Amino acid sequence: MTEKTSSRRTKNIIKLIVLIVVLAVLVVIPIGGGRIRMTSVLILVFLYMAIAQMWNLLAGYSGLVSLGAQAFVGLGGYSLAMLSQVYGLPLWTGFVAGAVISVIFALIISMPIFKMKGVYFTVGTWIVAECLLVLFSIWKFVNYSAGYNISATYKLTPAAIYYVALAICVGAIVVVVLLLRSKFGLSLMAMRDNEAAAEIRGVKLYRTKLICFLIASAITGIAGAGLYLNIAYITPPSAFNISWTVAMCFIVVIGGIGTVEGPIIGAIIYVILNQLLYSFPGFSMLIMGVIAIIIIILAPKGIMGVVNRFFNVDLFGIKRRL
Amino acid sequence: MKEILSVRDLGISFGSNEVLKSINFDVYENEVLGVIGPNGAGKTVMLNIISGILKPTHGSLTFLGEDLLEKKIVERTYAGIGRTFQVPRSFEAMSVFENVVIGAAYGNGISEKAAKEKACEILNFIDLYDKRNQPAGKLNLIGRKRLEIGIALASDPRLLLLDEVAGGLTKSEVTEILQIVSNIKARGISIIWIEHVMQTMIEGTDRVMLMAGGKDIITAPAEVVMASDEVNMVYLGADDNE
Ligand SMILES: Nc1ncnc2c1ncn2[C@@H]1O[C@H](COP(=O)(O)OP(=O)(O)OP(=O)(O)O)[C@@H](O)[C@H]1O
Ligand SMILES: [Mg+2]
Repeated sequence: MTEKTSSRRTKNIIKLIVLIVVLAVLVVIPIGGGRIRMTSVLILVFLYMAIAQMWNLLAGYSGLVSLGAQAFVGLGGYSLAMLSQVYGLPLWTGFVAGAVISVIFALIISMPIFKMKGVYFTVGTWIVAECLLVLFSIWKFVNYSAGYNISATYKLTPAAIYYVALAICVGAIVVVVLLLRSKFGLSLMAMRDNEAAAEIRGVKLYRTKLICFLIASAITGIAGAGLYLNIAYITPPSAFNISWTVAMCFIVVIGGIGTVEGPIIGAIIYVILNQLLYSFPGFSMLIMGVIAIIIIILAPKGIMGVVNRFFNVDLFGIKRRL
Repeated sequence: MKEILSVRDLGISFGSNEVLKSINFDVYENEVLGVIGPNGAGKTVMLNIISGILKPTHGSLTFLGEDLLEKKIVERTYAGIGRTFQVPRSFEAMSVFENVVIGAAYGNGISEKAAKEKACEILNFIDLYDKRNQPAGKLNLIGRKRLEIGIALASDPRLLLLDEVAGGLTKSEVTEILQIVSNIKARGISIIWIEHVMQTMIEGTDRVMLMAGGKDIITAPAEVVMASDEVNMVYLGADDNE
């Protein structure tokens, strides 16, 4: 018993050291302004990873499969663009506004779309996002479909954007891990495994799902602002594009739904594949699709599903032991 | 004795299929009430109505003096109704320990720390302490049945609903279940126990209710029910130990 506890403690210390080393390496990478390509690729990895964690919090744990993550990417991006470009406020205010506006918007749409179950919810989120796309295209306040240049970002170095993206990514993972390690996390995992049983055992489904939805919306909004800090130019068709959510599906399904490690692995694979296939524009989507289908057939629970069959991976100490 | 649950004129129809016509019975404090009846008699449907999964078409449910039909599923759990499922519904990717912790933490509304302590005690009670860190999905049938009971017990129920916990088990495993049920009763918990295995009904209950044709045909001590004309009629040509 004590031997077991001490070996567990050793494992935890090793995990902590690994995490610190990884983080330290990531912090060092852009220093000096070299490694430009690596820096730019990692910016995408970090931001996709953050949004994928949120998509997984909904689809993987709460049973809320959304096709509307782009609504919050767009709201975050537009918050950044409007506040800095139109009102001349500092860039950081765009992130705050992105989170706040996303939460308010999520709260409003939750009333109708939480009445829809399963695939209806999925379609509902998509329709909401499409409505935003149309609205922003005809809305004078946001400069119609012409959008904005976000010129305040031109002065930023790639390293600065990199650190913002890293902070968002680490923040998103920390939020998810803290959630899962708390009592609330028990109800999330119970819902993931069997929603009806969770309710019988006393889990308030509506409340739990709503909390997840609001958290996911806020962080997706912040990450959306991060994405447009990097892109520096926003239009409705790009901001509210369903391809953002398609990417998240790919990342989470490939990596392993309902795990924290899954979206991390998935995001790395997705962004690297995307870079490799960059020179075959027409084919890249096709190839990604084929890869997704093959993995789903061979490993329905994604890469983490396969890994977990052999090793009981618990990088972030989420599993409770006795 | 004081009744803990009173069921009056309970009925439910699915479309034109009137599964329950009129069910009437009481469960008393610290009583084990067995429920028997042919396949499709609506026994599971009745439990689903009591735990809030299904809404009855008519009738009333009074639990500890309160109208149960006003309460949502989770509120019935908080009020003291626990249950198991005929097809086990544990949280498969989670460990046995975590499963019981959820039952305690959410069913009882206690902190995770307190829930873990409670889970320890329950794991010993259902004899799964050795398997505590295994994924629930990897347990064998008797293990899963015991776990179902453990999760339900963790919420400190006043009334426990058991749906065929002995079905599909070997003779010695059935004896184990009988022992567990009698230990639960000793904790002062009332039980409604649906079972086709007649041995459990004869040895493990205070009274038995026979359900058929959407009605409660007879409710009496097991030996009275088993010797009744009604049982012969309902099970005419059918195998008692199905
Ligand atoms: N949700 C539902 N919708 C429609 N019909 C249902 C539903 N649940 C149960 N039924 C029907 O109600 C009837 C009674 O089913 P129930 O599962 O309660 O039987 P049971 O007495 O538990 O039988 P068994 O001993 O085989 O478990 C069946 O005909 C079933 O098809
Ligand atoms: Mg049944």
